[in-house]
Amino acid sequence: MIFAWMVLLAVLSASFVVFPLLGKARDQVIVADSTSAVLVDQLEEVQRDLDRNVISEGEATAAQLEIKRRILTVARRAAQGPDADNRGGRNGLFLAAVFVPLFAGGYYALMGSPEISSLSFADRQAERVEQQKIVDLTDKLYARLVSEPGGGASEGWMLLGQTFSRMGEYQRAVEAFEIVANRDDATSATYSMLAEALINAEQGIVTPKAETAINMAMELDAANPAGVFYKSVALAQRGEEAAAHAMLLSHLEAADGFASWMEPFVQQANQIAEKLGRDPITLSDYAPISGSEPGPSAEDIAAAGDMSDEDRGEFILSMVDRLASRLEEDPNNLDGWIRLANAYRVLGNNTQALSAYERATVLLETIGSADQRHEIVRKALTELQNQSVEE
Amino acid sequence: MTPEIGHFALALAFALALIQSVLPLMGANRGMLLWMQSARATSIGQLVLVGIAFGALMKSFIVSDFTVINVASNSHSLKPMLYKIAGTWGSHEGSLLLWVLILTLFGAGVSLFGANIPETLKARTLAVQAWISTGFLSFMLLTSNPFDRVFPPPADGNDLNPLLQDVGLALHPPFLYLGYVGFSIVFSFAVAALLEGRIDAAWARWVRPWTLAAWVFLTAGIVLGSWWAYYELGWGGWWFWDPVENVSFMPWLLGTALLHSAIVTEKRDAFKSWTILLAILTFSLSLLGTFVVRSGLLTSVHAFAVDPERGLYILFLLALSIGGSLALYAWRAPMMEAGGLFKPISREAGLLVNNLILGTATGTVLFGTLYPLFLEAVTGDKISVGAPFFNATFVPMMLPLVLLMGMGPFLSWKRADLAGVLQRVRFIALASIVVTLVIWYIQEGGPLLAYISILLAVWLLFATLREWAMRIRLFDVSFTDAMRRARNLPRASHGMTMAHAGLALAMFGFIGSSAWKTEEVVFVAPGTTIEIAGFDVMFEGVERVRGPNYFADRGTLKVTRKGQAVTTLFPERRYYPIAESSTTESAIRSTLAGDLYASIAEPASEDAELSGAWTLRILYEPLVNFIWIGSALLMLGGGLSLTDRRLRVGAPKRARTTSATPTPAE
Repeated sequence: MIFAWMVLLAVLSASFVVFPLLGKARDQVIVADSTSAVLVDQLEEVQRDLDRNVISEGEATAAQLEIKRRILTVARRAAQGPDADNRGGRNGLFLAAVFVPLFAGGYYALMGSPEISSLSFADRQAERVEQQKIVDLTDKLYARLVSEPGGGASEGWMLLGQTFSRMGEYQRAVEAFEIVANRDDATSATYSMLAEALINAEQGIVTPKAETAINMAMELDAANPAGVFYKSVALAQRGEEAAAHAMLLSHLEAADGFASWMEPFVQQANQIAEKLGRDPITLSDYAPISGSEPGPSAEDIAAAGDMSDEDRGEFILSMVDRLASRLEEDPNNLDGWIRLANAYRVLGNNTQALSAYERATVLLETIGSADQRHEIVRKALTELQNQSVEE
Repeated sequence: MTPEIGHFALALAFALALIQSVLPLMGANRGMLLWMQSARATSIGQLVLVGIAFGALMKSFIVSDFTVINVASNSHSLKPMLYKIAGTWGSHEGSLLLWVLILTLFGAGVSLFGANIPETLKARTLAVQAWISTGFLSFMLLTSNPFDRVFPPPADGNDLNPLLQDVGLALHPPFLYLGYVGFSIVFSFAVAALLEGRIDAAWARWVRPWTLAAWVFLTAGIVLGSWWAYYELGWGGWWFWDPVENVSFMPWLLGTALLHSAIVTEKRDAFKSWTILLAILTFSLSLLGTFVVRSGLLTSVHAFAVDPERGLYILFLLALSIGGSLALYAWRAPMMEAGGLFKPISREAGLLVNNLILGTATGTVLFGTLYPLFLEAVTGDKISVGAPFFNATFVPMMLPLVLLMGMGPFLSWKRADLAGVLQRVRFIALASIVVTLVIWYIQEGGPLLAYISILLAVWLLFATLREWAMRIRLFDVSFTDAMRRARNLPRASHGMTMAHAGLALAMFGFIGSSAWKTEEVVFVAPGTTIEIAGFDVMFEGVERVRGPNYFADRGTLKVTRKGQAVTTLFPERRYYPIAESSTTESAIRSTLAGDLYASIAEPASEDAELSGAWTLRILYEPLVNFIWIGSALLMLGGGLSLTDRRLRVGAPKRARTTSATPTPAE
C-alpha cells in the first residue's frame, strides 16, 4: 500500500517536470516587456497629482518629459531583444523527469523506514493496559516482599529486579538485585544481573561497583555467559581490547552447539575486532544451524509415524506447543522461531508457520547480513507465499 | 505509513529543487523556452510535495504517533489539540519544515501570479529560489530530518516546552517565517536581475508587492512575539533587546528601507543598485536570524534551540548565499545604468536619508547583537549588551527619522519647494508643541528624551493626517467632495497614511510604557495592600487549581481606586509535571490609558510558603496598548497598499499597451 502511494507521488513529481510539454501554442510566446505599461501608468499618475494640486504645472511637465524619454528607451531595447527557441530541450526535460524519482527513490532506500508502520496513541490502548498490568503486579509483588518476615523470598526479588530492568527502571532493579546479592543464596546469575542493571543505569559505563559484581559472578561460575560478556565490556572500556576479544572468542569456541547468548557475543567481538583491525566473525562459524537443541524437527515428527494416529497427533502438538510457549517467554530466540515455523510447516499449518517466520524476520535484523539464516528464512517465506498464491 | 509518505515527499521535493536550480537557468541563458517554463511547474510541484510532508508531520502530531522521534520529543498525548498542531513547528525540525514550506509557497506564488513577468527573469528568479530550497531541504534531510523513526515507540511523549503553550507564540513562528522567508523571493528577484544585468521600473514594481507582503508578515510575527513576551514572561516588558528579538528586528528595519527605496527605483529609475543591495542584505539578515536561532549560537530566553553541530551546516549555507550574492553584486552592479537625478531637497533625498538612517540603525543593532559573540570568541570574556546600549544608540537615531517621516510625504519628486512645504507644516509643528506642553503639565516628570519623543510622535501623527487631508482637499472643498476624492485616491496612498499614523500611535505606547512605568516588587501576605498609580491592590491569598496538563497556584488580587471596586485579578504560577517546568500567567487590567499588570513568583522561602506569603510583581504601564493598536495599523496599512491595483503589473486597464496577460501580481 505504502509503495503504491510512493509510486503515485513519484509519477506526480516527474509529471511536474515534463508539464511544459503539455503547453499549447499560445503559451509558447515570451511575455512582452511590461515596463512601458508601468511608465504609462506613471504618466497618468502625474496627471492625477497635477489635477489634485499636489504638484505644480512645471513639476508635472518635467516629470512627464522624463517618463516619456524612459518609454522611448524601453521601446528601443525591446526591439533588439533576442528570439527564443520554442521547441528545443525536450530530451533534457525527459531526463530530468527520470532523475527525480530515481534520486528520491535512491535516497529513500538508504534513509527511509517503510517497515515501521504508523501507530497513533489511540491505537495503543491494549499496550497501555498490558503495561499498567505489569506495573500493578510489580507494585503488588514489591509490597508483598517488603511486608514478608525475613525480607521476602530471593526468587521474588530476582523476578522484581528483572521486571524493573525490562521497564527501564535500572536503579530500582539494582536495589532489588542487591538485596539478593547480600544473601547467602546469591548465585552467579544474581551478580551478573546486578552488574547488567548497574551498567545500564550508568548508560553503558562499567563502574567499579559493576566490575566488582562481574568479578563475583565469574568467581561463582566462570562459564556464566553474562559474566563473561560484561567482563569483556569492562576490559574493552579499560583499553584492553585484545584481551576482551580473546575472551569472547575462547568462550564461543568452547560452546557446544547454538545458544541464545552467542549472538551478542559475536556482535561484541566484531565491534572490538573493528577497533583492533581484525576480521569479523559470524555466528555460523561457531553454531551450525542443524537443530542440535531439543525441539520438534522433521525427523522427530517422522519418527512419530509409528504411533497411533491419536497418539501421534497429541505427541506432535504437545512438542510444538511446548516450544511455542517457551518462545513466548523468550521471544528473542531466533533459532527457536525458525524451528517452530518449520514444525508448523510440516504439520501443514501454513498460516501459523508464516507468522512464526515473520517473528523470525524481525529478529534477523539483529544479526549480521552474512548469516545463512537470512537465506533460510527468506527461502521458506517465498515458498510459503507461493503456496498460498497457488491455493 | 503517513510519516514515510512525508519523508518520501520531502526527498522528491529535494530532487525537484535540484532540477529547478539548474534547468531554468540554462534555459534562460540559451533561450530555450521549455526549460525556462519548467520552473513554473516544478515550483508548484515543490509546494505540493513539501505541503504533503508538512501535512504528514502535522497528522503525526495530531494522532500522537510516537514512532516519529520528533513527535515523541515534542508532544504528549494529554496536550490540548491546538498545541499538538502548533507542535508541528515547535521543534527545530518542524520549524525548518515550515521554513521550507513558506519558501516553496512564495516560489509557487511567483509562478502562479507572475504571468506577466518576462520569461527569462521569471526563470532566473525561480532558479535562485530553488537554490535556497536545495540548501534548506538538504540541511533538513541530512541533519534535521523531522521524519526520523523509532520502534518500539515510547509509551508517551516528552511534551512541548510549556512556555510555548500559548496562542500568541503558537502563531508567532508562522508569521515570523512568512516575513523572513518572504524576503527570499525579493532576494531571488535581485540576484536574477543581476544575472540578467537589467533593472527598471517594472522590476521594481514586481518586487514591491512581495516586499510589502513579507514586511507585513514580519511585522505581525515580531508584534506577536512581543505580545507573547508581555503576557507570558511575567516581567511586564514588551521588548528586551534579546539577541533573538534583534535578529528578527534587523530584517524588518532593512526591509522597511527596501520598501521605500523600491519606490524610488520605480518612480525615478534611481537607487537601482542600492535597492538590489538592500534586497540581498535583507534576506541575508533573515538567514542570519535563522542561523542564530537554530544553531544555538546565543543562549537567551530562546535557549530551546541549542545544537552547535547543525549550526556549522547553516553557517556554510549562510556563507555561500551571502558571499555568493555579494560577489555577484560586486561584479554586476557597476554595469547598471545610472538613474534620474534629483536635488538635495526632494522626495528622493528624503527617502535617501530615511534609508541611510534605517541602514545605520540596522548596523547598530547588528553590532550590539554580534559584539558579545566576537568578544567571547577572541578574549573568552562573556558580556551582555542590553537595553542601555540600544537606548543610548538606537533611540536617538530614530528621532530624526520620525521628524523626516512627517515631512517626507509633502516633498515632491526631483526638486521640492522647501519654503512651500515649511509653510504647509508650520501650524502642525506649533500644534505638536502645544500638545507636548500639555502632556508635560499633566505628567510633571520623566526624562527629557521622553518629551522630545512625544513631541515627534505627535508631529508625525498630525503631519500624516495633514498630508492626507491635503490630498483629498478636506478643507478646500465640500465634505462629500473630499470623501469622493478619498475614494479615488490610490489605496497605497491610504496605506502609507495608515502605516505612518500607526507608527506614531505605537510610539505613544513605547514612550508611555518606558518613561512613565511604575513597578512594585513586594513580598506579600494575605491581606497586604499595595498602592500603585492611584490603585489600591489587596492580596487575598493563593489557591491551588488544576488545568488539563498542569496545576497552578492562583493568586487573588482585589483592585480598588479611591474606595471604588475596579476589578479582581487572578495571576497564576503554573506547574507542568510531565515537562517538569513552570510558567507565569500574568493578570492584566487593560484600558487605553494603561495596563495594571500583576504576576506572582515563587514564595521566597519554605516558611513563607507555609504562612501563605508570596512575591508579587505589580506594574502600571501607561499607554502600552497603543503599541498593539499602532502595530495593527502598520499591518493594515501594509495590507491595504498590497491591494492597490497599481501593484498588479499589467492590470486590465493597461492591457491595450502590452501583450502581457492581465493577471494580478500578488
